[in-house]
Amino acid sequence: MSSEHSAQMKTPGKFSSIPRISAIVLAVAGSIFYLAGQFAGAVLILLAGGLYLAGLRLEQGDGGIREAMARWKKILAAPLSGALIAIVIGGIIMLLTGYNPIKAYSALFYGGLVKNWHISVINAAPLIFTGLSVAFAFKAGLFNIGAEGQYYIGAMAAVWLGLILKLPGIISLILVFAFAAALSAAWNLIPALLKVKTGAHEVITTMMLAHTARYLSPIFIRAFGGNPSTSTHPYVTDEILPNNFLPVFKTLFPNANYRLHTGILISIATAFFIQYLLTKTRTGFEIRAIGQNKEAARAQGISIGLNVFRALLIAGALAGLAGVNQVTGLDHKMFENLHANYGWNGISVALLAGGHPIGVVFTSLIWGILDSGGQYMARTTQTPNAIVEIVKGITLFLVVARYISFYLKRYWKRWNMSGGK
Amino acid sequence: MEFFSIFNTQLLVAAVRLGTPIMLAAIGASICERSGVVNIAMEGIMIVGAFVSVTVALYSGSPWLGMLAGVLAGGLYSLLHAFSTVSLHLDHVVSGAVLNVLAFGLTRYLMVLIYGHPGTTDVIPVNLSEYQFAIPLLSRIPVLGPVFFNQTPIVYMSFALVIFFTWFLRKTKIGLHLRAAGEHPMALETIGVSVYKMRYLGVLVSGLACGLAGAYLSIENGASFTEGMSSGKGFIALAAMISGGWNPIGAALFSVFFGFADALQIRFQVFKVLAVPEELFIIFPYIATLAAVAGLVRRSRPPKADGVDFIIERAEG
Repeated sequence: MSSEHSAQMKTPGKFSSIPRISAIVLAVAGSIFYLAGQFAGAVLILLAGGLYLAGLRLEQGDGGIREAMARWKKILAAPLSGALIAIVIGGIIMLLTGYNPIKAYSALFYGGLVKNWHISVINAAPLIFTGLSVAFAFKAGLFNIGAEGQYYIGAMAAVWLGLILKLPGIISLILVFAFAAALSAAWNLIPALLKVKTGAHEVITTMMLAHTARYLSPIFIRAFGGNPSTSTHPYVTDEILPNNFLPVFKTLFPNANYRLHTGILISIATAFFIQYLLTKTRTGFEIRAIGQNKEAARAQGISIGLNVFRALLIAGALAGLAGVNQVTGLDHKMFENLHANYGWNGISVALLAGGHPIGVVFTSLIWGILDSGGQYMARTTQTPNAIVEIVKGITLFLVVARYISFYLKRYWKRWNMSGGK
Repeated sequence: MEFFSIFNTQLLVAAVRLGTPIMLAAIGASICERSGVVNIAMEGIMIVGAFVSVTVALYSGSPWLGMLAGVLAGGLYSLLHAFSTVSLHLDHVVSGAVLNVLAFGLTRYLMVLIYGHPGTTDVIPVNLSEYQFAIPLLSRIPVLGPVFFNQTPIVYMSFALVIFFTWFLRKTKIGLHLRAAGEHPMALETIGVSVYKMRYLGVLVSGLACGLAGAYLSIENGASFTEGMSSGKGFIALAAMISGGWNPIGAALFSVFFGFADALQIRFQVFKVLAVPEELFIIFPYIATLAAVAGLVRRSRPPKADGVDFIIERAEG
């Protein structure tokens, strides 16, 4: 093939980069609008989708579109079909136990998607962080089941620095985020060290440290303003300084809910960063390599120990960011016995997304919608919102089992290829 | 209150009582993991057992029937874990995590359905602690008597189960096969014993034991079921099992030890005898486990094929 020919092949690509960039700009703007509760943003997102497809068509023809569709189908098919079947099963359960599933579900989706959309978004932000944490460790073949603990450490670090740090502009906010991420990463040093030195399973070590961190938090809260014998607000820390609050959407969109903070944007940006890190950098390549085949990775000269450290520390930082997000964005203080379970639920959303960082954004939103919609449903239709937990459990089971059937099929093929001997 | 006065016989009695649910689950866990299946669903199984016990005890009027139902419910629920890990070859930790979520949702839903509100169930009229009995003579021994020989039914059962399962693992043929399923599944399959069956058995034992632990919480130590009443005991049981070196006696000893830490914590909270945050006692089991897996206490080694999937590739003809 001549160099002239390949140059010709490239030109359409250059032209189509204009619709592509504008598609990205439109999609980002539309998403911000939509997340802020300005549903007109959907028009921008649709427009962006159209532009993207058109650009793809220009560049690669119909085949490109088919390829892109197939890619998205692969990511979304499992969680969506799983959720759909679980919703149907949940409906049958409601029907059998004397509730009206149609009324309940319409309340659930009206509440989660429209009426209390802001709560869904607020719910989703920390889940994206903890989900990313678990998903990232998955890529290295590690199970960061203790994300809950790193979440608590992140929240405590954010309160600690947030109470005292007063620097101009967003500098102090950035420092709070960095400090909390570093501390919660350090919380995973022991599991990483034990994994490398003694082979102790990270499921055990991170889980034990999760409970440790959870029970350290009341001591921390008493030390920072929540002492029941001296404080006017027992079991809650003092409020962090206002310059360490995350901005709320209301400053930009006057009719947005006043509690809706911009943590969701940071979490989604982080998801894209993690996706970039995993697919486009040397570090990501090495982490995926030890996750897929340790022996092959070692043969390539990739250090297992170093990458276990990297994976667990980054996972710790990500889960810690969930804590910072809650403190600086939503609560501005830390409560005792907050039964938020973002760490444990992070496992669910990561499993549901099959460990895909961008998938985690969507599954977290689904979880957030189910939670806020479930509360709305319970309030307006008196259907117990535990049905939401059941639907979540069944969804997870179906999706996880689906991946298993995929592995089984592969096994079956390999066995058949070996002649069934 | 004098500092040393909290260390009395009553404290040891409390240690055994608080340690009992942990002990039951930990015994089950050691059988389960010796067969090669990791079970982190114990928390969920305990919740199911506790809920079913109370409900059956309430409607039948008999706490004994309630206990039986709780044990059976725990066993049935654990079969889901066995099915997904052994037959569907699901990752053991994943399956456990999912089952915990499901148990939480199921009991909450059933609670609203049966009792009309979330939170706490109705209180049963007679709970099993009414059947406390002192063993003649033995209960007169100072300190040891009240601690070990003047207890409630399920506490006695848990002592018996420690002895039974230690014997079972060491001296019986099935026990040997079960251990082989966790160490060398291939070797076991080679001599014609089904690894799947042994692993199902291991999970089932842990389910029954956790069901009993749940019954203990709701109808012996308490008289109703409250959401979150297991408060992480399933995970502490895991800790006790690992610290105890994957065998029933070690697991039981560490369970009582953790129960002791819990009892101490409650006393420190009530009497404020020492300027130490009582949470440090709650944290203690978790730190002890870390020390155990780090090899600081002694060598604590999991079964070789613990959590390792086993797929039989049957040859034809």
